[in-house]
This record gives sequence, structure tokens and C-alpha cells, in this order.
Amino acid sequence: MFCVDRRFFVNFDWVLLSLLFMVCGMAFLNLYSATYPPLGGMPPYLKQCYLLLMGVACIIFLISFDYKELQLWNYPIYIVTIVLLALVIFVGNSAGGAQRWINLGFFQLQPSEPAKLMMVITLASYYSRKEVANGYSIKDLITPIILMAVPFILILIQPDLGTALMFVIIFISMTVFAKLRWSSYIILGLSGIALAVVGWFFVLKPYQKQRVETLLHPVKDSMGEGYQILQSKIAVGSGGLFGRGYMEGTQGHLHFLPERHTDFAFSVWCEEWGFAGSFFFLAVYFFMLFWGLHVAMSARDRFGLFLAFGVVALIFWQAVINLLMILGFLPVVGIPLPLFSYGGSSLLTTLLGMGILMNVRMRRFQTESTLESCEL
Amino acid sequence: MIKWNFLKELGNISEHDQAALDGLRKRVLGTGVVVVFFVAIILLRLWFLQIHKGEEYKSRAENNRVRIREVAPPRGDILDRNGKELVTNRPSFNVVLVREDSNDIDGLLKRLSVVLKEDVSVLWERIRDAESKQRHIPVRLKENLSWDTLAYLETHNKDFPGVRIEVFPSRFYHYGDMAAHVIGYLGEISKNELEETDTDFYRGGDQVGKMGLEKLREKELRGEKGNSSSEVNARGFEQQLLTHVEPVPGNEVRLTLDIDLQKVAEESMDADERSGALVAMEVKTGRVLVLASTPRLHLADFEGGISGKNWSALLDNPKHPLINKALQAMYPPGSTYKMVTALAGLAKGVITKDTTFFCPGHIDFGNRQYNCWKHGGHGTVNLKRAISESCDVYFYQVGMRLGVDALAEYANKLGLGLKTQVELENEKSGLIPTKEWKKKKYGVKWQDGETLSLAIGQGFNLITPLQLCQMTVILANGGKRYVPQLIESVTDADGNVLESFTPKLAGELQENEKKYLTLIREGMVEVIQGARGTARVARIEGINMGGKTGSAQVVRLEQYKHLQEENIPYKYRDHALFICFAPAEDPEIAVTVVVEHGLHGGSSAAPVAKAVMQKYFANRIAVDQIRKAVTPQ
Repeated sequence: MFCVDRRFFVNFDWVLLSLLFMVCGMAFLNLYSATYPPLGGMPPYLKQCYLLLMGVACIIFLISFDYKELQLWNYPIYIVTIVLLALVIFVGNSAGGAQRWINLGFFQLQPSEPAKLMMVITLASYYSRKEVANGYSIKDLITPIILMAVPFILILIQPDLGTALMFVIIFISMTVFAKLRWSSYIILGLSGIALAVVGWFFVLKPYQKQRVETLLHPVKDSMGEGYQILQSKIAVGSGGLFGRGYMEGTQGHLHFLPERHTDFAFSVWCEEWGFAGSFFFLAVYFFMLFWGLHVAMSARDRFGLFLAFGVVALIFWQAVINLLMILGFLPVVGIPLPLFSYGGSSLLTTLLGMGILMNVRMRRFQTESTLESCEL
Repeated sequence: MIKWNFLKELGNISEHDQAALDGLRKRVLGTGVVVVFFVAIILLRLWFLQIHKGEEYKSRAENNRVRIREVAPPRGDILDRNGKELVTNRPSFNVVLVREDSNDIDGLLKRLSVVLKEDVSVLWERIRDAESKQRHIPVRLKENLSWDTLAYLETHNKDFPGVRIEVFPSRFYHYGDMAAHVIGYLGEISKNELEETDTDFYRGGDQVGKMGLEKLREKELRGEKGNSSSEVNARGFEQQLLTHVEPVPGNEVRLTLDIDLQKVAEESMDADERSGALVAMEVKTGRVLVLASTPRLHLADFEGGISGKNWSALLDNPKHPLINKALQAMYPPGSTYKMVTALAGLAKGVITKDTTFFCPGHIDFGNRQYNCWKHGGHGTVNLKRAISESCDVYFYQVGMRLGVDALAEYANKLGLGLKTQVELENEKSGLIPTKEWKKKKYGVKWQDGETLSLAIGQGFNLITPLQLCQMTVILANGGKRYVPQLIESVTDADGNVLESFTPKLAGELQENEKKYLTLIREGMVEVIQGARGTARVARIEGINMGGKTGSAQVVRLEQYKHLQEENIPYKYRDHALFICFAPAEDPEIAVTVVVEHGLHGGSSAAPVAKAVMQKYFANRIAVDQIRKAVTPQ
């Protein structure tokens, strides 16, 4: 199956790999500062090293076969993920009132993370198979809606509203990208509004409503949710142009900043490296995403294109939501900044996604003849 | 090979596909615009926060060294009716750790474990329990420090960064476990309670009332929290107090209980390890003077959370200390129920003052023989004698003529079978059977023979000791059913009286029924003061008392019939009951005693009631004796 020939190196996406290295390097640097001094047990930066090694293994695994195989294995992957999500409800470890993890001994797996990637593969596979000239009608969308709704509901039960909403966002991004009819837009929009209204009054837990409300009136609750956002804004703002210096941020090191190595990791970066450092990071990060879009455009077929686009959308939206939260534009929803926030499941999932991008890029010229040469 | 074919097929891209692919590529280009849009927003916001407002936020970060702490209010005191302190606060000193202020928690805990004489693993356990809380919220490591430990930690506080001493008001019980069931205890607020109650006030780790009045009057007792903010330096040490808002102490709750009487009652109950309940009420107001349930709870065991061992010991105790037997346990009323039968008989015109029945020691009804407790029989008896000597046959006759529903009607009028509405949790309503009830419950018709058992207080009847006391109050005060109340007054910290006792009338007998009570009372006075009364042991010199004994069958087992009473296993022995009021001429107080498996009301329950009465009338008895001594006969 492995076809290691010259083209492997020629076609390999060295650009993406370098960008990835730069982002992960900055993330590692930041993690070391955010978790200093370590609290006993294995320090998080060391754990991050192991995770990155595992991530490299994941990438190598993912580029070793043609991404077409993902389409072949789509439904088995889907079913396994759903089973894991269901399992987490029954045997999962809980933290803060939500059941999100399955303990694998060496690793706390949060199945909702790989489920996001699974969603991308599933939708890419569906839309690439089903081609419609004038955009999809509502009838065409029934299958993908059901495919999306199952993990959405399972994650909502945990309960993890933020992650569940990511599924809706991925679905909307990829569906709109695949082109809809006007009637589909209207029907989907109206039912979306209806669902949101019903959700607000019957599904949302009081603490979740409170999060939305504190965004609207942050001063009301300066010890709770509003406190976190306020501290984050102070951290970011106090960075100024050049920052307070590495390991010198007071907001992070005096622990005013909550979740400073996970969801609010980028606040620490902003505080210590200032506008210049943040600009540099964002430039690298978003150039990486633009490169991802470039990979999508150069894909050799519909599946590859959808796949690459979906991976970019997944990373992009998580990043945008996390950054807007850190900057005080969105409520605290528990969405990490992919590759930058500490968290094993999220990191490995994002690296798997990167592997997919590289795979699509590598095989952009691949034709029948190369396949056959491979077989030899 | 099949798979390869599949891949080959997918690999073949037709002209049409190529066109569609180009269309999609254009759309990818379009999404680039969305990315640019969001990147622009994020960069603008960063510029706004870091460059435009950078200086402002920098100074806020400098000043952001203010830590806000809550100050727990002292909980309100609980007093008895005479102002004697039952429960007050005393400071308890706890060690807390603010995790984010400590660089080396592991080393710190090792050093602390030596000072606190506590295992490191125990301390780690506390830290782990608080894992989900924010790191600036203190974690309590140990409660109730001794003075020595306290002094050491205070003087060496530089060696323990992040460790603080928390002064925590904890409860002090001046009378030990007296009235434990009424007062109740405190415990750490549970997750459910946090979600149900107003979260503005409570936070995890707060102490709330878990039982009794501590729970029911939580809102009044808790007070208002204060807070203080202080500056911390770069290493997390507190430098300077910035603001301080004093907490508002909780309200003082004064009970109607008389702790001296309560003490006499509980100690007399304890004397023979009696398990049961004693209730004393003011006849003319409904104030509860004593409400005792034995065995008692040990309130100190509950402080800081009861241990699993103690808890299961409480659950396994065959005498059920967790139950407040005065209102949460139900007993057959035994002969005390004859008051109901008597009143119903008189009011329904079945008997009059002078109606007599002949008691040969038993009565035949249906195909069964119903015995009087006195096998030889009482001979010809009227109502007064029937009460004073507790003649069963007399009441069989009355009950037979009344029927079950008339009995139930008057039982309800005397408060039996109804909740008394006392301010304590889980009050039982007891059980007063009717024909309809039996039909519903068992689907079987009422048997007339059952009415006979009912008339002397056996059978389905169940009452609580509190109901029994309320009934005695009604008999003694001429027909007024007062709600038993426990709160004399509630006063806030500034001395404003927020609530004060007013009698609450739950019901009243009609005028034509009231007049029969005098006759019943006369019979009850004979029980104690008469030459042949069944409770002559309760007699107190100088005070005329009225009362009634009762014993309630627990089981009717043939195998124990031949045994001497003291040889019957404890749990099969009859319950002993006694009700009384005094002074007979103008009753002030009513006392009810139920002793579980105490066999006879006269021998087991009456002496306890007598002790309480003696205490209550102590002054008058003394005056009386002096008067007797000084005036020559």
C-alpha cells in the first residue's frame, strides 16, 4: 500500500508543514509560560511533547494512503464515532457537571473532538457523491441533516452546548458552500430560528443562559462569567504594542486569568507578546488557513476539495469563536483555539485534519498511471 | 482488486466533472472573503484593546491585584422562652489554601501535614475535591484548629504561602443535645440545595440548616454576608485591606420551649433508657413547652458533616434516634382514646352522665368475646368510674352504639387524624379509620366488631404524641384546638421584633359539645386523685391533676400470652401512654408521654409526666408547703 517514491517528497506539502511547525512552536512556548510553575504530576508542556509526537504519527498515517479511502471507510468511521459519543454518556468521566471524557488509561479521550472531523469527512463524502446542477433542494438535505443531528444531540446531552453548536456551524458552512436553492435557504433559516427560540426556552440550562446574559451585561457578575471575560480583556489590553515580555505577564502568572492554558491561552500570548506578537501569530495562523483553501482549490476531485474545505472551515470557525471570546465579543463557550489551546483530543484531531490537507495536496496530480506504478 | 477498481473509477474525471470542479474552485475563492472579513475584525479589535486602550488596560492590570473575599455573617442565636441561650456561635478556626497563591503545593502540604497532624493524602483529597472550582477560591483543609496550631500557623505564615486562617462561626449548644430534634443541625450545602435555592446568596461550602428549626428558619437565622477586598502583591500575599462591608448577623429566634422543663423531661426519659416522646403544651395558648424525642441525636456528631460510621449507627439503631417521635412516629392511642369515645357518646346522646353499664369482665359480640383488662369485671359503672378505672366494657358498649364514623368524627374534632401544622418537618397525620377508608384501602366492608376495638383505642387507630397532647389541651381548655407553636419571637440584630407569638386557633367544639368536657375532666381527675384511679402514682401533693393512662398493643401473639410481662421480648411489649393536665381547677399545662414498649401507662409513662409537672409547679408546691407549715392545723 505504501508507495514511497520520489514524487512523495516532491509533492509533499512542505509549506503547510513549516506553517504547522511555527504554530505548534509558538503554542508550546506559550503553554510553558501559562502553566509555570507546574503543579506536580507530569508538567503539561511535557505532555504536549508526547501529544505532538503522537500527532506526527497521526499525520504520517493519514498521508500513507489515498484520501479516497476515507470515502470508502466513511460509514464505519461514522458509526464508531457515534458509539464513542454514546459511550461517553454512560461511562464517561465528568468534570464541572458534564460528561465529556472516556478514560483510556494513558489518555483522556474526548470523543466530541474527533467527531468534528468525522462530520467533515461525512459531509464531504455526501456532497461529493451527490451532485446537483442548480443547488440542493430541501429533500437532498434530509440525509446530511440527520447525519449531523445524531452527534449534535449526543453532545448536547453531555451537556456541551459549545461543541454541539460547532456541528451546526460545520454543517452550515459545508452545505452553503455546496450551493443551495433559494427555497432551501428560506426553509432552513426559518426552522433554524424556530429551533433557537424553542431551545432558549426549553433546552438551555440556567447557567448557559447566564453566559449569554453576562455577555450583554458584563458588569453584573464580576466574580463569575463576566469576571473571566473582563480578566481576559485586561490581559490582552495590557500587552500594549510589544507585550510585557515572555513569562512576565501578571494577569496569567498571578492567576487572574482563568483557564489560561486552555481556552484563554491566547490571552496569555497577547499579554506577553503584545500587538506585534499577536499580529505575527495571527498572520502565520491565518496564512496557514489560506494555504488550506489553496489546497482545496488544487484538489484533483470533488471529494478532495470538499474534504480540504471542510477541514479549513472546522479550524477557522473554532479559531474565530475562540478569538472573539477572548476579545470579549462572544460568551464563554468552551471552544479551544485549535493547535494553540492545551488539550490532547483537540490537538490530535486538528493534526489529523492537517494530515488530510497534506494528503489532498500530495495527490493533486495523481492519475490512474501513478496508481498502477504504485502497485508495482 | 475490487477496491482498486473503485479508486480507478473515481480517478477518472470527465469533462463535465472538470467544469463542476472549476465552479467549486471559484466558490473556494469566495470563502476567502469571509476569512479576510473575520481576520480584519479580530485585528481591529486587537489594535483597539492593545494599542488604543493599551495604557488603560495596563494600569488596570497593575491594579488588578484586588482580591474579594466573602465574610460569613454570625448566625442568629436560638433562645428558650425565658431568654436562656440554647444555641449561639463560637468561632471555629479553619485552615484554607488559595491554590493559585502557592507555587509548590506538594511541598506545602507535606509541611502542613506535620503541623496539622493530618496525613498528606487527606489534605490532597480536599484539594482534589475542589479541582473544578476556580483557583482563587480557598479550599478548606482542616476545621476546628486548636489554639496551639493556630498560633504556630499565624506566627509562621511566611513559611506557608497561600495558607490562610479562616474564622468561621460554628454552632455552640449550651444545653448539649437537649431539644436536638427541634433545633436541628447545620451541614455543608449540597449540590441540589445550591441549584434549588437562590444562588445569589449561597456558594459551595456554605453551612445551611439541615433539620429542624435550623432548616425551617434558615432564611431568618442566616443573616447577610459581608465582603472585604484587599490588595495582594506580586507573590499573592495580602498587603492591605481596601474595603470592608460588615456582615449583618442573623435574627435571634426565641422558642416557646422551656429548657428547664425540657431538661427534666429528657432526663426522666433517659432514666430507664425509655425510647419515646414527651410533649408539653400551654393549655390556653398552644405554646409548646417541651418537645422531646428519645433517644436523642448528638448534634456535635453532625458538625462538619457526619461520618459514615456514625450515620449508619444512627440508621441501624433499633430505637430510631433519627425520627422525631413526637410527630414523625405513630402509635395506637390505647385507652387514651376513650376520651374520644366518651365525648362522642355524650354529644350523640348515646349516653348521659348517669348511664350505667354492667361490666362482667367481658362482652360477647358476634362470635367473639371482648375482654375487659380486669378479668373479674368492674360491676355496674357510670361514665366517671369508667374513665377513672378505664373500664373497657363500658366503652365497648358506647362504641357499639356509636358506630365507627361517629367515633371518627369526634376524633377529628379533637385533632386526631389531622396534621397539627406544627412548624417541623415530616409531620405524620396519624390514622383515624372510617367505613369508607377501609373499603378503599382493603376493599372489604367494615366489621362491627372492629368498632369495639376502636372504642378502646386498639385496631387501626394511629396517633402521634403531639396530636395526643393537642387533644389533651382541647379537653383541658374547654374545646379550643390551638395549633402547637414553637416560635415565641424573632428579633433582628437591631432589636426590632419581626414576629411574635399569637395563638392560632385551628378549630373549636360547638357550645353544646363543650359542656360535656367538664364531666370528662372530672373522670380524668379521678384517674389520678381518686382512690381507685389507674394513675395514682402521678399524684403531686398540692396540685390537682387530671389524666389518663393507656397501653397500646404492638402485636397480639398467642405465644407470648402466658409469659410474665418482663419476659416478653422488648420489641413485642406494649407501648405505654399517659396524658395529663393541671391544675384541675383551671388547667394551664398539658403533658403527654409515650414510652415505646413501656408496657403500662401508669407505671412507665406517668412518672415521667409527673416529674415535668413537679418542675413546672415547683414554685407553687414550695409556697403551698410553706403555707401548710406556718398555718397550724
